[in-house]
Amino acid sequence: MAAPPGEYFSVGSQVSCRTCQEQRLQGEVVAFDYQSKMLALKCPSSSGKPNHADILLINLQYVSEVEIINDRTETPPPLASLNVSKLASKARTEKEEKLSQAYAISAGVSLEGQQLFQTIHKTIKDCKWQEKNIIVMEEVVITPPYQVENCKGKEGSALSHVRKIVEKHFRDVESQKILQRSQAQQPQKEAALSS
Amino acid sequence: LFRGRNNNKGLPQSTISFDGIYANMRMVHILTSVVGSKCEVQVKNGGIYEGVFKTYSPKCDLVLDAAHEKSTESSSGPKREEIMESILFKCSDFVVVQFKDMDSSYARRDAFTDSAISAKVNGEHKEKDLEPWDAGELTASEELEALENDVSNGWDPNDMFRYNEENYGVVSTYDSSLSSYTVPLERDNSEEFLKREARANQLAEEIESSAQYKARVALENDDRSEEEKYTAVQRNSSERESHSINTRENKYIPPGQRNREVMSWGSGRQNSPRMGQPGPGSMASRSTSHTSDFNPNSGSDQRVVNGGVPWPSPCPSPSSRPPSRYQSGPNSLPPRAATPTRPPSRPPSRPSRPPSHPSAHGSPAPVSTMPKRMSSEGPPRMSPKAQRHPRNHRVSAGRGSISSGLEFVSHTPPSEAVAPPTARTSPAGGTWSSVVSGVPRLSPKTHRPRSPRQNSIGNTPSGAVLASPQAGIIPTEAVAMPVPAASPTPASPASNRAVTPSIEAKDSRLQDQRQNSPAGNKENMKPNETSPSFSKVENKGISPVVSEHRKQIDDLKKFKNDFRLQPSSTSESVDQLLNKNREGEKSRDLIKDKIEPNAKDSFIENNSSNCTSGSSKPSSPSISPSVLSHTEHRRGPEVTSQGVQTSSPGCKQEKDDKEEKKDAAEQVRKSTSGCNNNELFILIFLQPKPSTTPTSPRPQAQPSPSMVGHQQPTPVYTQPVCFAPNMMYPVPVSPGVQPLYPIPMTPMPVNQAKTYRAGKVPNMPQQRQDQHHQSTMMHPASAAGPPIVATPPAYSTQYVAYSPQQFPNQPLVQHVPHYQSQHPHVYSPVIQGSARMMAPAAHAQPGLVSSSAAQYGAHEQTHAMYACPKLPYNKETSPSFYFAISTGSLAQQYAHPNATLHPHTPHPQPSATPTGQQQSQHGGSHPAPSPVQHHQHQAAQALHLAGPQQQSAIYHAGLAPTPPSMTPASNTQSPQNSFPAAQQTVFTIHPSHVQPAYTNPPHMAHVPQAHVQSGMVPSHPTAHAPMMLMTTQPPGGPQAALAQSALQPIPVSTTAHFPYMTHPSVQAHHQQQL
Repeated sequence: MAAPPGEYFSVGSQVSCRTCQEQRLQGEVVAFDYQSKMLALKCPSSSGKPNHADILLINLQYVSEVEIINDRTETPPPLASLNVSKLASKARTEKEEKLSQAYAISAGVSLEGQQLFQTIHKTIKDCKWQEKNIIVMEEVVITPPYQVENCKGKEGSALSHVRKIVEKHFRDVESQKILQRSQAQQPQKEAALSS
Repeated sequence: LFRGRNNNKGLPQSTISFDGIYANMRMVHILTSVVGSKCEVQVKNGGIYEGVFKTYSPKCDLVLDAAHEKSTESSSGPKREEIMESILFKCSDFVVVQFKDMDSSYARRDAFTDSAISAKVNGEHKEKDLEPWDAGELTASEELEALENDVSNGWDPNDMFRYNEENYGVVSTYDSSLSSYTVPLERDNSEEFLKREARANQLAEEIESSAQYKARVALENDDRSEEEKYTAVQRNSSERESHSINTRENKYIPPGQRNREVMSWGSGRQNSPRMGQPGPGSMASRSTSHTSDFNPNSGSDQRVVNGGVPWPSPCPSPSSRPPSRYQSGPNSLPPRAATPTRPPSRPPSRPSRPPSHPSAHGSPAPVSTMPKRMSSEGPPRMSPKAQRHPRNHRVSAGRGSISSGLEFVSHTPPSEAVAPPTARTSPAGGTWSSVVSGVPRLSPKTHRPRSPRQNSIGNTPSGAVLASPQAGIIPTEAVAMPVPAASPTPASPASNRAVTPSIEAKDSRLQDQRQNSPAGNKENMKPNETSPSFSKVENKGISPVVSEHRKQIDDLKKFKNDFRLQPSSTSESVDQLLNKNREGEKSRDLIKDKIEPNAKDSFIENNSSNCTSGSSKPSSPSISPSVLSHTEHRRGPEVTSQGVQTSSPGCKQEKDDKEEKKDAAEQVRKSTSGCNNNELFILIFLQPKPSTTPTSPRPQAQPSPSMVGHQQPTPVYTQPVCFAPNMMYPVPVSPGVQPLYPIPMTPMPVNQAKTYRAGKVPNMPQQRQDQHHQSTMMHPASAAGPPIVATPPAYSTQYVAYSPQQFPNQPLVQHVPHYQSQHPHVYSPVIQGSARMMAPAAHAQPGLVSSSAAQYGAHEQTHAMYACPKLPYNKETSPSFYFAISTGSLAQQYAHPNATLHPHTPHPQPSATPTGQQQSQHGGSHPAPSPVQHHQHQAAQALHLAGPQQQSAIYHAGLAPTPPSMTPASNTQSPQNSFPAAQQTVFTIHPSHVQPAYTNPPHMAHVPQAHVQSGMVPSHPTAHAPMMLMTTQPPGGPQAALAQSALQPIPVSTTAHFPYMTHPSVQAHHQQQL
């Protein structure tokens, strides 16, 4: 596997390159396929999460300035077996979520409604859009503008539970806004002070 | 792709060659690990598409699901119309694909292994630096010594108060007089006061001197730690005894001490079941302890629980006897039961219950617990289990293994001595006759309700389950009575003997199932009283009892029904076991070992079932006879019940019954199978027993390769597995040994039917996976014990059905009139088969279910597959005997059957219930079919004789091999798949083959079809087989047409049952399977 630099990339090497869109990419080689000219890189997570990484699949046909920052000759670690069924189910749910979200968006649901739906969906999977209404567990209906008082349904634990979620959602959104505002104001103050 | 990847990764050296990036393990790994993640694909023109990464090709073309082109302006998500279902990006079209925030460990299979966890933790948490310990001035030894000798148990309250006051300024308001909570007693010397004081003291003394109080106090003040109480490790440290006393309460008490304490504590210390104390007081503890003890036997656990209960009872004296619990238990049991025949587990169970009472008496606490448990879930289980357990134990004992040694030992000896011989022998020889006669006897509707259920419960394989439940509940008394008899029943012993050690585990399982039947407990209790009578003439004695307890039984019946599910499963398992056994015998080679276990299991089950049946069937005379009678009863009852159940079937059923009887007789005569028949019946009746009996006989006669395969699965499944295996076995058996099969077949149907009725209902629910199938099966089951039959039966039945069909077909052709009746029969067999099939599904449900189901399904599928091919072939050449083993047999069958079938089909249709599936199921499942099948089988046998047998052999072989290969696919698809496949096959067959068949399909709806369908539905495989036969028949000629019609019905039924049928996917599956 000791491939000559420039032609092969050994797993674990740090590689950087520039795409035809003038985008600079750098990461650790996790896989490389010579025939298809495909290079898979692992980069630090763009969101900064630990234990997470961004995976890049680069088509070397459209890349230039490929350089190996440092080569690694050690034997790469063995591959763990993958739970394919888990991945398949993830693909399915991801797709469904996206479609359901798109459905709501195309129905003209407000951004707040979409956010609320996402929040509820995190807790209660059994929620869906019905026109512009959010149906939770087939019991609770949340109508625009999706406030706590818009939660309707049979009085019971389900309704009260949904109300709590909605209440907390807007509280969190509110606090986030305040935070953002304060953050936005601080620079201004600093700017004022400095001036 | 996934498979490819997996293979690529796991088996790089596999013969399969992978192209492109599929050959690049690391690329495959990284790309696979991001499947299902959102990703952004940047294409050459700079556009960015976002979607869910679905898959990739060897050329590295990528597929995104729900993808949309990202627009730079709007931050909101895409609209519905902007999303493409999926987009394929050619490898040459994209520049970069970005997967954000991927968790590399997400898809790791070993996410929960120690290494994986520690790796993760180590990444996030740095281990603390270790610091050297400074002993300070004190030498370590001194300080430690001080700690060791510190008798105080932590802080003194006053120290705490002082500390808080000094350090935190908190002053406690604690008042030792508790004046805030209570009023001080004002003492005076008045006469009144003295009187009351004396009275109070007296009461206190009475209370404190009561055993119950002591036991409870012992529980409350048990100084032993959790570790001490529940540790499995007993340490001998006599040194620490003194320590334990002097040291802190929490101090560790050496095992030795514990034992001593335990001894002294007696029942009170039940908590430490392991101690071996009788623990009558704490049922739970005992049960647990028992279970733990029994654990060795997978199945024994539950039984153990039951057994535990019983044990306690035996132990009644318990507290003192703890150590020798088991032994004492058995001993005690015999006395109570009087039963001489501690023999079978059942007797024990009964005894056990009684004992439990005694024990209860002996130790108040235990008693209370016992009753409660009884009333609640626990009791029933306990009782049933107890009954069963005892058996199991005995069995196990016979085997010689098992932790519970003492109990088992005691049990085993009796069982071996008594039950085994009678049960086995009688079943085989007498069963049929008894059955026949029994049917009439039982036939009485009254019997059905009582005896049938009882029979079904006890006798039927499911019986074991059913029996236990039914017996447990309704029968309780009556059952109990019978049970004692049964227990004595040699059957259990016999089974034990026959079974061998391996059986123990299975037995335990069976027992467990049996345990499920709550009634058992009560019954056991009652039985004790009655037990003596039972010992004399179990059946007879029982019958009286039954009459007495009829009301109770009726009530219990409901429960039984509920319980039936379990029973049914058991029955099924039994059937399967039987089948397996048979198959195993045939295929002894590899299978033998496995089969033997199965057989053992089945035997065990049979035994248990026999016992139960015996108990339930008290009416029947001698034990062995009782067994037979039971079987007969079951059949008869079942049949009747089936007839009742099936709306249309009534007449047909009757005919069927007659036919069945005839068939049975024929079978008996014809085959070596006489024994087999008996066995079958036994099996049917007492699934467990049958299996045992069958095993021994059948195995010899019919060891089928296929069986082996099945057996293997069974082990995996454990209990469920057992069932599955049973199922499997049965199926193979029938097919494998046509001669034998016929017999088995007929018996099977009958038994199954009976069993189904009893157990099916319950089973069905459990098995619901195959709902459709099951449902169909259910119906049959309703007629007979569906559940039992269900899985195991399904295969067996299916196979059986096939063979029968084949045979029947030929005969049928010849005997048109018969055909009508036969058709139903055929259907019934089919149904049975289906039922069995169903059962497998049911089995699958348990957990094992999936695997078992898969296996079954695979088998079925294979069959179906074969069938499909065969069908076409058949059409062309009626005799495409050998396509696949299954196909070959099918072909033959078809050819013969077809003719017969066709006639049958017409008849059936009319008679068949409109609601093809359900009704048909009922009808089909009903005895009638079975008989027909038998006849058919016989005829077929006669016709094919050598051919069929060979075919059957082939079948088996083929089945056995095929199943394994098929297994994967079938597993995945499981029953449903198999069913669909069957259906598909059927369809395919129809189209390709016989035009008549096609025409018939419409008819399918008709009653005949219904029957077929029902049969088919349950056992798709069977259905396929029938289908095959049908197709073959068409070639034959006019008869063929009839056959086709018959076949068609089957498919129809299958289709009807399975919504899937219509689905293209199903067809695809079939094709794939093919």
